[in-house]
Amino acid sequence: MAKEELDIEISPSGKVTVKTIGIKGPRCLDLADFVARIVGRVESRELTSEYYETAAQVEDRVDVKLRR
Amino acid sequence: MSSVLVLTPIIIANWPAITAVVTAAVATMGFSAVQAAETQQTQMAGTTREEIEVDNSEILENAGGRGEELVVEREGLRAVFTRDGRGVLRVCMEGKGHSKAELRKIGQELVDRVTQQYVYHRVMTEMKQRNMHVVSEEVAEDRTVKIRVRNW
Repeated sequence: MAKEELDIEISPSGKVTVKTIGIKGPRCLDLADFVARIVGRVESRELTSEYYETAAQVEDRVDVKLRR
Repeated sequence: MSSVLVLTPIIIANWPAITAVVTAAVATMGFSAVQAAETQQTQMAGTTREEIEVDNSEILENAGGRGEELVVEREGLRAVFTRDGRGVLRVCMEGKGHSKAELRKIGQELVDRVTQQYVYHRVMTEMKQRNMHVVSEEVAEDRTVKIRVRNW
């Protein structure tokens, strides 16, 4: 099973910030969306570099094959 | 990090569940629930009232649809939580010698605590069901609750 970690902050007024940690690719959205469904409505969403890592690795592999 | 989400909470609960949340949350501000019989006080002169609607709340109707009122008190201040006809949670603040602005401020803080308590309870329950373990939990000075969960 993939290791998944989340930081969840609940502000004094109940607003929630969720950060996924160490989860690469769209899988991180699954987990974050799971929390979103529990809590309510998504106010903002930010993807950071780690989200794009899986896609970048695939592109690298394709690149190597083309050179052979 | 791979993604950061900011979420606005929506309270969806039945009356018994919201009653439990309200009772626990308001206790942190020194309020405690009073029995229905004790609430039959006559309106005293000088009592101010202020009503607050809890945004993004949906309280499900009881089977009987009655008795949906919870009264909590603290030193001359009274907060009456009710479910209105649309299913929205409302708080009516009453107090003698308080301005409307003061009552609104206290009422809003009660609402905030109820919302935070509801979200905390909901998140913890669902995380447990998903086999996510709480590895750390702390309450910051500003009362923000910080939780780290993982699945290993």
